[in-house]
Amino acid sequence: MNKMSAKITDIQSLNNLNLVSFDFNGISLSMVSLDLNENIKIGINVTLSAKATNVAIAKNFNGELSYSNQIKAKISSINNGQILSSIKAELNNTILESIITFKSCKRMDLQVGDDILLLIKASELSMLADF
Amino acid sequence: MIKIQIHKNLHGINKDTDLDVNIEIKSGEFLAISGKSGSGKTTLLRILAGLEKAKGKIEVNGEIWLDEKNSLIPQKRGIGFVFQDYALFENMSVLQNLLFVKKDINLASHLLQITELSALKNRSTKTLSGGQKQRVSLCRAMMNRPKLLLLDEPLSALDSEMRAKLQTEILSLHKEFKTTTIMVSHDPSEIYKLSSRVLILDNGKIIKDGTAKKVLLKTSGSQKFSFSGELLEIKKVDVIFIAIVSIGQQLVEVVINESEAKCLKIGQTVNLSTKAFSPSISY
Repeated sequence: MNKMSAKITDIQSLNNLNLVSFDFNGISLSMVSLDLNENIKIGINVTLSAKATNVAIAKNFNGELSYSNQIKAKISSINNGQILSSIKAELNNTILESIITFKSCKRMDLQVGDDILLLIKASELSMLADF
Repeated sequence: MIKIQIHKNLHGINKDTDLDVNIEIKSGEFLAISGKSGSGKTTLLRILAGLEKAKGKIEVNGEIWLDEKNSLIPQKRGIGFVFQDYALFENMSVLQNLLFVKKDINLASHLLQITELSALKNRSTKTLSGGQKQRVSLCRAMMNRPKLLLLDEPLSALDSEMRAKLQTEILSLHKEFKTTTIMVSHDPSEIYKLSSRVLILDNGKIIKDGTAKKVLLKTSGSQKFSFSGELLEIKKVDVIFIAIVSIGQQLVEVVINESEAKCLKIGQTVNLSTKAFSPSISY
């Protein structure tokens, strides 16, 4: 599971639906969630998580994407299997992993050192229960 | 308003614990009590019914049922009690079982109508199915228009379809008679459907008190879809790992990565969770 330490910068609520915004090392992230724990307030630090299988990758991308969370990073390692590839990228001492198909990895010609964009939907980002 | 302030020593199998309950229940409230076996749920109901002794005070709508000096006998408390086993008079008909409590034919007929038992009113209770017997028990408990209705796992011996039907009937009876009700139950869907408040009892103490959603919704951080289970196996496939976990009576598979696989031990209790946005529902 990918873990990111972030600070809550905004909470927008409608009934029990919430859009929470975070600052993760200067990068703005957002998450949609149902009811929030009462301790969740603007300004507190939380650990965010996203499953590696829910993280997509873009390279040399030019255009608009609906992904709320777009994180610029550099590939630090690639572990190719026969069907899947585990791509790890590093930014500010945080390692984030994306599991994509080996086919996509080949098609995109991903190499260690490439600058990429990690993509996570707001509904696939979670806060861990560490508060 | 019902005020309960009681204390009793519980003799458990392994150790003795103290039942300590201090609560107020509003008139007309439907309160569910859940908790592990031996936590004191049934004892609490029996104390309220006057079937078991305890120290403390029970006050119901200003009437003292129990204090240091007095303990009102069960027959004078105005209580309806439904147990898991039906406890009907088998040599009597359905209607006779109800009239035995109170000779009020109008009320008896009305109760039998709500619970769709009118056609069976002259049948001997011996010939009824489990669901029908429990409906008769419920009607009988309502015959003296109780101030307090106590239900001790009333539906746990029934199949799921019959449970759902009786839950609806209990709800209709509660809406019509507005009887303050305390139900012991282990079934989250039953508690959610029927109760306005839930207490979780653990070792004789109330550890949670709130609405069903607040008390029973299992969450893990912002993840609302959360279950605990036993990790049975981890299999490596390609660059990923698959964890097999048993939850309740089912096995589920979860894809994990290498670092997660390294931290887990077979046999340990794990928590599986995902966001409320991910699961799909089919029927």
